[in-house]
Amino acid sequence: MTASSARQINLVGGIITLLTLIIAILWAFPIYWGIVSSLKPENEVVRPYIELWPETLTFEHYIFALTETQIGRWYINSIATAVGATILTISTSMLVGYALSQLRFPLRRPLYWLILASFMVPTQTLIINHFVLVANMGLLNTWAGIILPQLINPVVIIVYKQFFDQVPRDFREAAVMDNAGEFRILFKVYMPMNWGVTTALAIVTFIWSWNSFLWPFLAVTKTEMMTITVGITQVSDAFGVYYASQLAAAVLAGLPVALAYLLFQRRVTQAITLSAGIKG
Amino acid sequence: MLRNTRRETLVALVLISPFLAIYGLTFVYPTVAMVNLSFTDAPLIGPGQWVGLDNYTRLAGERRFDTAFWNTAYFVALSVIPGTFVAMVIALGVSRLTGRMQALVLALFFLPYILPVSVVYRLWDWTLNFQFGIAMYVFDIWGIERVPIFKTTTWFMPAVAFVTIWWTCGFSILLFLAGLRAIPAEIYEAASLDNTGRWTMFRRITWPLLWPVTALVTTIQLILQLKIFDQVYLFSTGGRPNDNLVLVYYIFQRAFVNNQGGRAAAIAVVLFLIVVIVSVLNFQLMRLAERRK
Amino acid sequence: MTNYKVTGSVMLLAGFMSTAAQAEVVVEWWDFLGGGDGVRMKQLIDEFNAEHAGDITIQATTLEWGVPFYTKVQTSVAVGEAPDIMTYHASRIPLAVSQNVLSEITADDWATMGLGEGDFASATWDAVTIDGAQYAVPLDTHPIVLYYNKELLSAAGVLTDDGVPMGMDSLEGFTETMRALQANGVKFPLGSVTADGNFMFRTIYSLVGQQGGELISDGEFLTGDNAEKLTNALAVLQDWTNEGLQSTYTDYPATVALFTSGEAAMMINGVWEVPTMTDLNAAGNLFEWGAVELPMIFDQRATYADSHSFAIPAGDMDPETRAATLEVMSWMLKNSLFWATAGHIPAYGPVTSSAEYAAMEPNATYSPLTANMIFDPKSPLAGVAGPIFDVMSTYFVPTLNGEMDPAEAVEEIIIELNDM
Repeated sequence: MTASSARQINLVGGIITLLTLIIAILWAFPIYWGIVSSLKPENEVVRPYIELWPETLTFEHYIFALTETQIGRWYINSIATAVGATILTISTSMLVGYALSQLRFPLRRPLYWLILASFMVPTQTLIINHFVLVANMGLLNTWAGIILPQLINPVVIIVYKQFFDQVPRDFREAAVMDNAGEFRILFKVYMPMNWGVTTALAIVTFIWSWNSFLWPFLAVTKTEMMTITVGITQVSDAFGVYYASQLAAAVLAGLPVALAYLLFQRRVTQAITLSAGIKG
Repeated sequence: MLRNTRRETLVALVLISPFLAIYGLTFVYPTVAMVNLSFTDAPLIGPGQWVGLDNYTRLAGERRFDTAFWNTAYFVALSVIPGTFVAMVIALGVSRLTGRMQALVLALFFLPYILPVSVVYRLWDWTLNFQFGIAMYVFDIWGIERVPIFKTTTWFMPAVAFVTIWWTCGFSILLFLAGLRAIPAEIYEAASLDNTGRWTMFRRITWPLLWPVTALVTTIQLILQLKIFDQVYLFSTGGRPNDNLVLVYYIFQRAFVNNQGGRAAAIAVVLFLIVVIVSVLNFQLMRLAERRK
Repeated sequence: MTNYKVTGSVMLLAGFMSTAAQAEVVVEWWDFLGGGDGVRMKQLIDEFNAEHAGDITIQATTLEWGVPFYTKVQTSVAVGEAPDIMTYHASRIPLAVSQNVLSEITADDWATMGLGEGDFASATWDAVTIDGAQYAVPLDTHPIVLYYNKELLSAAGVLTDDGVPMGMDSLEGFTETMRALQANGVKFPLGSVTADGNFMFRTIYSLVGQQGGELISDGEFLTGDNAEKLTNALAVLQDWTNEGLQSTYTDYPATVALFTSGEAAMMINGVWEVPTMTDLNAAGNLFEWGAVELPMIFDQRATYADSHSFAIPAGDMDPETRAATLEVMSWMLKNSLFWATAGHIPAYGPVTSSAEYAAMEPNATYSPLTANMIFDPKSPLAGVAGPIFDVMSTYFVPTLNGEMDPAEAVEEIIIELNDM
């Protein structure tokens, strides 16, 4: 390779890197812009020119969102339902994943195919009957009602099964020799070997549940039971100018998970790739 | 090794019973109930009369169903392949970086993914606002005529697809990055000794080795985007929802706004079938592509 | 699971508290009043709660206006999760009654409240009456008006000595006023909610009314020359758009922002924006402004109006709660002078005939329009965010922004209306 062609390649490489950086900044710009706008008074927000930093810095919209809306309640509802959905999904899926992977029982294959198939089936089409079901159970406007339809999550089962499949046979055989029960084997042998998977799946399930919109939007009619994702679309006072206060509520809604992500970036990254069945 | 079959079956049953209970209640039963409902004229809550295939035959001539169907198809076309492409390009760019720099850039690209859809809606509705959006000021500076993006039928779907790609791309980027990392560095080293150009290297090595990930990303996107509702609903508020209908939105409109459970269920069954057919076709197509390699 | 425990202990706590506080009745209240009038309603609710401490407490929830609100009401009544009292547009009552969403307000109820037919204007009373029975208690009437920026108008020389816009009695006159503003460098002489067909229904319906037209005659849509009248109305608005006199693709908040930031000199909007202006002006953030009856574009004066009323959802309700709810409605009406500061015209006669009300501004300036108010057709298909609204608004947006020919739009509207 000649020196000049190497330099040329480096130049091209440098340009690509620079482009990546510029695009990354532009990519995140709407987030920055939303935050900055939420810190301006309403009459500055609608000025007909670009102001990348507020002339008058104000937190009034945050104070408004925190005191005049039920955003505190919405946080609690979001956390409760997302944690609840995560725990229930993980625990039930783990058991099924283990059974599918390690135990032989009649109809095992059909069950597995059914689970694989339900990955394709759109739960969104079931909203009508989910609503009827949850209404008949008297669970509208409750955490349980918000959680229930979110529990269909075949991906978690499939990932668990794949990971349990990879645990070497010897471990299981040794444990069976010791006369250990299946639950003991699962919790003492298989779970500890796969804590990484469990945390990863928990993170992903939590994000999905925290961000879900359509079902919580249907299942709740009372403001105090709304999740934050749904709630902030209700802050919109129907009249007047309110761009900045809407943005403030949006920033508050996005903040906790965004912060958690920035703190645990590596873990979240692993969790995502893992949830798609790719080992990162 | 000896297996105690009966005992194992029993244990398995215990292990899967919580799942089966949930699955039966929230999946099997609602699916059966939905099909049933689609043959009646019932309201959202309450009984109805059996009307046979009426709800289905009515769909054929309905304007709103037509709009919803084609908008959904259009949205899928605008978001699935372009979304995969954008994610791949970004992943290629990010993979060149190392250390903290890579972590930072990746964070910028990934951040939108963890935002709730309503936050994404607020941010973009504001950024692209026809009167006060910063994008319009940029248009003004460049001398481009302002576009009322979410208020015209021409721009609505492309814009929502764009925002969707912005929002969900982070997920696909991570998958591509994992796929890129799995390609052994030796292959590239060997190729660069041969003085292979950048483009050839991509075409001969990266693209084929990345194919399984590409297939996975497109499949996930495809199944996801057919069920679009949230973004379309939110961006249509205060605008012209009837022009922007997609199938899930139409189900929502019939069931919850017009209180026509039976007619809504018929649309739901149709969407259900569409998703299943598309999934199966996609699966076969991917397998075929795999075999040809 | 944990949820049950929490609910259980809350109920226990509530039970404990209620024995201590002599059975205070909680009235669950839903409204769609955001913004300036929402603030005033909250003040009224607080006042009510303070005055009835120990007896009745209103627990208020504000939901998003329009389709979302009425969707929630409908589903929550269907599943028995409805509130005890809710605000309701009178125009939606025929639809609500046909869907069995509302509980009748009986003669006994009226007597308990100390209210009756004589306390209301006949059109208002009629708006809540279906087949001789009443289904709601009217709180106010709220027409749309023309807001204007006195400073911009005066600079362009189109403000009269009385401080109102010139050219208010003809299409030509009003267009000239707008042209003068445009010539004087005003970006949008008129701010209109052109992105939201639902909203524009009000303006367009007013213009149809100014030609004496109607939407439904003998159960049929846009018969005879009514289609032509609708076309005329749309054509006027489209002409303004084509001439650049009116803001295009503007959604609700943007319209208000254009007006309050001085980019639009005038704005057609509901009286409910009065508090927004009053508050901004009081804080020193707004120019001198005024509000008047809509200009007479065609041959007679007419302004669209609707009425906020209180309704009780259908379903079982214990007598104690019902009595408390009636007390809430009665109190609100009798204290509705304050509600007039939200721009609305109180429905309760004794309030509007009071001297205090007569002295209130800007209400006094636009109150002559009450003689020219027109309401939605009384049909289950009509009403705010109802089926007719829905169909028509789809075609209003493209027409008002110059994408579609008015005559073509009207043709499509008729096809779709008959297809419902």
